[in-house]
Amino acid sequence: MKEYVFPVLAGALTGILSGFGVGGGTLLLIYMTTVAGLGQTLSQGINLLYFLPAAATALPGHFKNGYIETSVAVPAILLGLVGTVLGALIATSLDVGLLRKCFGLFLIYIGITELFGK
Amino acid sequence: MKKVNFWPALSGGLSGFVNGFFGGGGGMLLVPLLVKKCGLDQRRAFATSVAVILPLCVLSSAIYLLRGGLDIMAALPYLLGGLIGGSISGRIFKRMSILWLRRLFALLILYGGVRSLL
Repeated sequence: MKEYVFPVLAGALTGILSGFGVGGGTLLLIYMTTVAGLGQTLSQGINLLYFLPAAATALPGHFKNGYIETSVAVPAILLGLVGTVLGALIATSLDVGLLRKCFGLFLIYIGITELFGK
Repeated sequence: MKKVNFWPALSGGLSGFVNGFFGGGGGMLLVPLLVKKCGLDQRRAFATSVAVILPLCVLSSAIYLLRGGLDIMAALPYLLGGLIGGSISGRIFKRMSILWLRRLFALLILYGGVRSLL
């Protein structure tokens, strides 16, 4: 039972942030890799999948409130699809230890810019 | 004549790559780009990034799945959590103050970064 309760809770809490777009997925990744002890590649895969229900349920509200800027979103999605295929292909063929190191550096970079950025 | 702005597409491409490579975190890169380079206000940037990242996650999670980096059963509880969190998020986003949330978030991210490197 416990092995289901905590993942659901973690997913729900970070899901609130994910729906805001403030990086809930990254927090969930940290939870999965450091607390739940899942592998880096598996955690990344789960995280991508988890974002689907989290975003799909948050989006109708955002649309209704008029917060979605379609003129920016459409070109971003188009090139984003290309970028994400490249990233996913590289990540799934990379050594896991190296992937984890890259992830750590990325987190520190984001953390510092968030903390000291305006 | 209006100058063509490449930033929306470029921002999407970069975030897409990060999203596929790290299995998340694309939004953390995308939101600042949307604000600084695409002229969106904070709230619009957060909401729009959710709309951009969602289709990217469909594609990248499919790649993780096909290349064996993903176990659906392990993902299920997180998906359920995401569903709950996301629906809460869409409802309360309008009333959220974003600043304190980002500071807390930055600290958690830094913690995760250090843990991943050690």
